[in-house]
Amino acid sequence: MTMAEVEQAVRTRAAELLESGEVATFLGWENGRFPHQTTPLVASTAAQAEKLVWNEYCVNTLAKYTRDLAYRGRVGIVVRGCDSRGIVRLINDKEISRDDVYLIGVGCPGMRDINDAPLKKCLECRHKNAVLFDEFIGEKVDEVTPDGRFAEVEAVEAMSQKERAAYFERVYSKCIRCYACRDVCPCCTCRECFVDARREDWVGKQNNLPENRFYGITRVMHIGDRCIECGECERVCPMDLPLMTMNRKVIRDMNDLFGEFESGMEIGETKEKLMTYETSDPEEFM
Amino acid sequence: MSRIGVFICHCGTNISATVDVEKVGEAAAKLPNVVHVEINKYMCSDPSQDLVREVIKEHKLDRIVMGTCSPRMHELTWRKLLATTDVNPYMLEVANLREQCSWVHKDRQVATAKAIDLIKMAVAKVDKLSPLKTTQIPVTKRALVIGGGIAGMQVALDIADAGFPVTIVEKKSSLGGNMVMLDKTFPTLDCSACICTPKMSEVGNHPNITVKTLAEVEAMSGYVGNFEVTIREKAKYIDYNLCTGCGACETKCPSKVPNEFDQGMSERTSIYKLFAQAVPAKPVIDPVHCRKLTEGKCGVCAKICPTGAIRYDDEDRVTTETYGAVIFATGYELIDWKKIYGEYGGGAYPDVITGLQFERLVNASGPTEGHILRPSDGKEPKSVVIVKCVGSRDPHKGVSYCSRACCMYGAKHAHQYLDKVPDGNCYVFYMDVRTPGKNYDEFYRNAVHDGANYLRGRVSKIYEENGKLICLGEDTLSSRPVRVDADMVVLETAMVPSTGADEVAAMFGVGRDKDNWLVEAHAKLRPVETNTAGVYLAGVCQGPKDIPDTVCQAGAAAAKVIGLLNKPSLESNPQISRVNESLCQGDGACVNICPYGAISLVTKHFRENSQHVDRTVAQINPGLCQGCGACTVTCRSGAMDLLGYTNESIMREVDALCQW
Repeated sequence: MTMAEVEQAVRTRAAELLESGEVATFLGWENGRFPHQTTPLVASTAAQAEKLVWNEYCVNTLAKYTRDLAYRGRVGIVVRGCDSRGIVRLINDKEISRDDVYLIGVGCPGMRDINDAPLKKCLECRHKNAVLFDEFIGEKVDEVTPDGRFAEVEAVEAMSQKERAAYFERVYSKCIRCYACRDVCPCCTCRECFVDARREDWVGKQNNLPENRFYGITRVMHIGDRCIECGECERVCPMDLPLMTMNRKVIRDMNDLFGEFESGMEIGETKEKLMTYETSDPEEFM
Repeated sequence: MSRIGVFICHCGTNISATVDVEKVGEAAAKLPNVVHVEINKYMCSDPSQDLVREVIKEHKLDRIVMGTCSPRMHELTWRKLLATTDVNPYMLEVANLREQCSWVHKDRQVATAKAIDLIKMAVAKVDKLSPLKTTQIPVTKRALVIGGGIAGMQVALDIADAGFPVTIVEKKSSLGGNMVMLDKTFPTLDCSACICTPKMSEVGNHPNITVKTLAEVEAMSGYVGNFEVTIREKAKYIDYNLCTGCGACETKCPSKVPNEFDQGMSERTSIYKLFAQAVPAKPVIDPVHCRKLTEGKCGVCAKICPTGAIRYDDEDRVTTETYGAVIFATGYELIDWKKIYGEYGGGAYPDVITGLQFERLVNASGPTEGHILRPSDGKEPKSVVIVKCVGSRDPHKGVSYCSRACCMYGAKHAHQYLDKVPDGNCYVFYMDVRTPGKNYDEFYRNAVHDGANYLRGRVSKIYEENGKLICLGEDTLSSRPVRVDADMVVLETAMVPSTGADEVAAMFGVGRDKDNWLVEAHAKLRPVETNTAGVYLAGVCQGPKDIPDTVCQAGAAAAKVIGLLNKPSLESNPQISRVNESLCQGDGACVNICPYGAISLVTKHFRENSQHVDRTVAQINPGLCQGCGACTVTCRSGAMDLLGYTNESIMREVDALCQW
């Protein structure tokens, strides 16, 4: 099936689901104001579902919206690899339950930005097809595992201590603390984020290098073993910070220490390395 | 505004020799909210403690900082002191000026500066503490002993004699452990069975002792005074209420398998007692080899049994009971030398045997009725080589530690061999002869006097030639290579922890060292306790030792348990985790990480932003929580806080160190 055919099928199914009351809302994309641009759409009626699109410019990962829509009833949603892993993440973090969502899986050919260039996050993508779905529209696309998942990490590690300090200084002196990375992240679901806490704790609210650096490091550690590598944080960052380099450093260290683990691949038993305790865990420090 | 008192101790010259305590006192007096500083030679002495009480009263202190030795040493002392005053015992912070400062530094200036920093941190922290209250926990007056060897039996008897019910969980089908397999015991050469079997029957008949054989600990929850332990008793296929132990079944069973008790040197039937004097004195069916259970044919034992006690459909019994204290007496097994010593034939030569096999050979109820005969051809060996430290003190192949009993064990084997084969030759290869113990060295000298040839050196190779076992080694005292043509070789192999003991220990939060021996709370001062309150160690599970030491330790563990069970109730530890429900998002990360199973998720009703909502949040069982703090670091929302070590108080400590 071509993307246009999938788009038509999604519209039809969304309208049916809304009509029959199986879902209260349906989540997808609609055309934006400019060409090569889409914006998230929450359809509540079959008529609104006609506006749904599925093309190469559906850049937003939608999983996190389900959290805010679930109170209205079951949410229908179109999911690719990244969206579905976000959904798995939210279910495992008990933010939503499996019954809160109806998942229409699709395979993703990779998305393009407004200038028609392929997105970095899509070039790095390891799971293009939905990993969890109730029905699948169209054919699954071939999964390719891109090389150099940790190439950026290794480049930073190869720096001398001085160079690395300068690198972090360069990165975090740019940060404007807009928290877009946090807001878009399907792992960031605290009721009160540590940066919003009224009582000042480890990190202050000031926008300066040390505090920004602490914000970045703390966020990376909070996401740690749960990062699904959707790359949304890096995409939405208005200052183009290399946020996935930070995330992948933690992922790789954790893989080295506790064994390979990929977050957001299946619902059920907790397997996240920092969220489980086993008697056989390494204890070299004891 | 808090009113903080700082008390700084000289500790004789322990602290004051390296730390300028007067200067520390001056600095402390300038810290915020500090209203009084007191410096004393020995803060822990009785007159000084009276002084602390007076100062607290006079200056109306509401919290104190103790600049003394480590909290491990005296925190409890200060808590008890505060309990006699108006200050809450948990409004206390100990700045460790001795172990972490004066003892580890030489430079007085550096040490003084560090001491001031430590006091600053303690003052900052104590300022943020809040009073905590303890509760009383009931004590279940019953003990569980894991392991039914000599250690387990001794500890059970001592506790049971004091009037408390005891349950012994034994993995095998009989009590006795390793000791009952031995022939004679050093240094007095009394018969092992003669001193062990009376204990076994005493345990078996004791009104306060329940013995569960073929049993294992499967799960555990709870805490000191209230351990809930699930025990699985494997199916024995015999109704012990009907069985009289007559032994008719054993005589008729057609299936023969190697006898583990005789170290595989004889045969037993599939329905069997582990050995003649087994307790309980009733057989079990080995389900792996029984023809009825594996092939469905046979059933001879059921036909012959005069009381109809055979139950082929028997099942495992799983019970859960509550115990006030748990004692580990899981013992040891011998290292599997065949895997690591290829140069000794790796098990290819039947006449290269272990010390335990020699014990069975020389034992009157063993496979040869006490005659020392080679396993291969049943001939009497005229020349025997004993190799010590096989696996022990060999970090590259075996273990790095000394197994402690083998020097004496080896001397005993030499003596027993020369006693039974007067015209035989015995060679003992040793690295060192270690005989610390009452009458131990005399015993070794006797073995030498008997004619044992002691050669200082390791055996490098054993191979067979013309029916002889050629042992190549070196006599390092004369620096000459040695070759002995032996008829039999006895390897004194290393003790290693029993398989599976580490998993059970982990259930109870008992630590294990690098060799997997269980770790005591303090090597010298708390040798039978563990870091889990209410869990104790007896015997070799804590590290290699001989029978006298094992029995001593068992008695010591029993004394500790009796002390615990005698208490009407225990005071709870109030330094446990607390959930901030407004922050908790109920993702359950803490539930997975908690090693004590103290956290569960519950749905609660809240009024938030003028709305009624039902939310899932974490809940802590204060009885189970041990205050380890694992949940506080796992909770990314910061909803978990450890009372007495709150995130805020630790933050202030760090601030104090970094910002002033």
